[in-house]
Amino acid sequence: MKALVIDDSRVMRRIVTGILRGVGFDTVEAGDGKEALERLTEHPDVALCCIDWNMPVMTGFEFVVEARKRQEWRDITLMMVTTEGEQGQIVRALAAGAHEYVIKPFTPEIIVDKLELLGLVGARA
Amino acid sequence: MDAMDEIVREFVVESYENLDRLDRDLVDLESDGESRSLMGSIFRTIHTIKGTSGFLGFGALESLTHVGENLLAELRDGKRPMTQRTTDVLLQMVDSVRVILDVIEKTGAEGVHDTSAVVAAIQQVLDSEPGADAPPATVDEAPVQAVKKPRIGKRPAAKTATPAAAASAPAEADMPAPEASPQAAPVDPAPADALPTPAPAPGPAPAPAPARDGEESHVRSAAESSIRVDVEVLDALMRHVGELVLARNAMTSLATEMDDATLVRASQRLSLIATELQQGVMKTRMQPIDHVWSKVPRMVRDVSTALGRRVKLEMIGKDTELDRSVLEAIKDPLTHLIRNAIDHGIEVPEARDAAGKPAQGIVTLRAYHQGGQVVVEVSDDGKGIDPQTVAAKAVQKGLRTAEQVAALGTQDILQMLFLPGFSTAETVTNVSGRGVGMDVVKTKIDAIGGVVDVQSTPGVGTTWRLRIPLTLAIMPALTVECADEIYAIPQVNLLELLAIDDAQTGLDQVGDAPVYRLRGQLLPLVDLRDVLGRPARETVVGAVIAVMQADGGRFGLIIDQVRNTEEIVAKPIGASIKRIGIYAGATLLGDGSVTLILDIPAVARRALEQQETLPDLQQQATVDTDTEQMLVVSVGEDRQLAMPLGAVTRLERCPADVLEQVGGSLVMQYRGRITPVVDLASLLGTGRPASDELAVVVCARGDRAVALVAKEVVDIVDCADLDRSEVSGAALLGSIVVKGKVTELLDLSRAVTSADPSFYDAHEPELVGAGSDR
Repeated sequence: MKALVIDDSRVMRRIVTGILRGVGFDTVEAGDGKEALERLTEHPDVALCCIDWNMPVMTGFEFVVEARKRQEWRDITLMMVTTEGEQGQIVRALAAGAHEYVIKPFTPEIIVDKLELLGLVGARA
Repeated sequence: MDAMDEIVREFVVESYENLDRLDRDLVDLESDGESRSLMGSIFRTIHTIKGTSGFLGFGALESLTHVGENLLAELRDGKRPMTQRTTDVLLQMVDSVRVILDVIEKTGAEGVHDTSAVVAAIQQVLDSEPGADAPPATVDEAPVQAVKKPRIGKRPAAKTATPAAAASAPAEADMPAPEASPQAAPVDPAPADALPTPAPAPGPAPAPAPARDGEESHVRSAAESSIRVDVEVLDALMRHVGELVLARNAMTSLATEMDDATLVRASQRLSLIATELQQGVMKTRMQPIDHVWSKVPRMVRDVSTALGRRVKLEMIGKDTELDRSVLEAIKDPLTHLIRNAIDHGIEVPEARDAAGKPAQGIVTLRAYHQGGQVVVEVSDDGKGIDPQTVAAKAVQKGLRTAEQVAALGTQDILQMLFLPGFSTAETVTNVSGRGVGMDVVKTKIDAIGGVVDVQSTPGVGTTWRLRIPLTLAIMPALTVECADEIYAIPQVNLLELLAIDDAQTGLDQVGDAPVYRLRGQLLPLVDLRDVLGRPARETVVGAVIAVMQADGGRFGLIIDQVRNTEEIVAKPIGASIKRIGIYAGATLLGDGSVTLILDIPAVARRALEQQETLPDLQQQATVDTDTEQMLVVSVGEDRQLAMPLGAVTRLERCPADVLEQVGGSLVMQYRGRITPVVDLASLLGTGRPASDELAVVVCARGDRAVALVAKEVVDIVDCADLDRSEVSGAALLGSIVVKGKVTELLDLSRAVTSADPSFYDAHEPELVGAGSDR
């Protein structure tokens, strides 16, 4: 399965892709929402997006709104990756069509738990 | 390297990049408080650092950026206006973040930091009523007050008060030593779990090599098409290309010798490719000067605030590219020059007001390419440098004697600023007067084969100009021959080449020192044979004078012959050769021979200083008196006349028959004009000596000239007022003793007006005179 990691920080992208690859995902990266839309067009087989909230050019929230307008991307799972400070805004993102959220800093377990919940990885033994 | 280390390293690199931009953004924001995009960018940087440091277990960094983020969020959402106070605490926070990052970079762990002072400062801003703490009128006072309030704790610079102060000085260098930090900072086990590698989850083989990180987001320009390369790789590549250039040179000279058309063609292609490769590799090492400049706005802000100056910074030519190593080398000198420009150049606003200038001074950085070099200028529109002050200082510090100084032109006087131990600061400030002066700047620029000079107009401003080579690895050089050996001279020092056709034209002696008259200016000459201790040449005819530029002055280097211009790769030389003090390095020439590269500034210092000491020895007794240089000529019947050298424009030698009698007055043709002549012999009442050749002293003013003829030029001496006796005669001021011989002092202005009564009319006359009224 393929995942798109959207974050303006190289380091953060690296951490998230590391975790996702650990559980069997192929990963694609994007530095902001606009780039993410381009990546999605190039890789229609993306099943999961991990989306940072604060990014230049196009924020995570704007990306969710845009992505949800597209019929063909309906099945993609959108997961917000945010910090505590943005908790209040999570509701907005969920209302706009995001499925899940994780709060930084997270452990691999937290991510994996969420993915299990979403049915994207098999339950652990 | 394991994945954790690599992530941490990446984190440090990314954070530094972001912080550099943030510094700039914050300073910009202060003048443009409304920019939402700037604010957003600043917020994101801190936000990212905070988020990532949480993962990596850098608790202090996280808590520090957390409060910063809160403050930035309020600013971004418009709940709080941007004030200088706010900028101050934010910059303080950025400094602390840098300190922590620095420790992380060195040790891989965070170390122990007490960030409470900065956190408290930010918190206090947060707690204060928005906008209440910084009425715009108190802009200058705000930061100072802020740090003095006891609640805030210590500003980094003040580390004396409390015993715990060492820890509360986050931006200070007295951090826990790196050795101490690993044990002091056990990484929190929980975040360590967050690493990708030891992922406890099931699944296929863990992929420790995460996706390539070449991608950068759009804000950092179109970086998708770029990759990150270790600088060492580029350095190695550059060395190899250097070797290739040498091999190419060897090939070219071989091909020329063999005279084989095929070989020549092949070598030409090789030459072409090598040149392109060399340019290509050089380009990869090129970075815009903005890499160094990006830190300047913040520095200018800090320095000018600390000194109570108002300074606007202008940067022209940000995209000018330099070799990375050169860039690195000019960083400190540039910083010093900029600090200096603000500290000693720009006046305080009140003084500027009084001088009728805008209260805000301007510091301009300018970079451009010129003649295969990069020129970087630092200009200010401040008070300029007064040559008199500089001269007085040099004498007071014992760097030069009074008479040496008196003989110097403005440019030479300013050049003394670069002497070791020279500092013009009236009061030592903590900004630029730190015991290091311009000599350090000069040493550093010298070390990379560059040149630094200064131009200044009192009251108008000062410009410091660095001329630096594009790259250190390969340099264009002139190969020259001297006593059957070949030497290389860096082109950077070379101004022009002059062939000596005959022994007369242009060559002359001033005292013991040989000089060359180049377009009306005297050029001191140094014979490379003397410098190298080779046998003296039999005749200078056929030799070549290479006019060299070094240490802000010019001199002529006499060499046997010019060979070629060649691109050379400088190789370091052994300490024993280096100690000789006239070689900068060695290189391989095309024919495979090893050639020494001359260290032109060193040659100039060695050769010219020896010459300078001559007048010193003669005039030791008069060191502290007001002296001036006198030209001494002999005038038949064993009589000598002296006149102030300053009033003399040129010295010429002419055959005696050029003098013509026209209507009762003596004239000669000089440079295509009829010029009135004063016969010094008849002035003294002696007969004109029978000689074929005359020494002609020309005094010119605008387009007027008067020629004084004598038998020959004897010497130039330093002469003190006290030596004069007041025995006057016609057109004479008195007499002095020169080397044991009584010499009459010519009243030059009277002598000149006797030949051309209107000589001084067009201009004010105080430049001439006998110099007794100085």
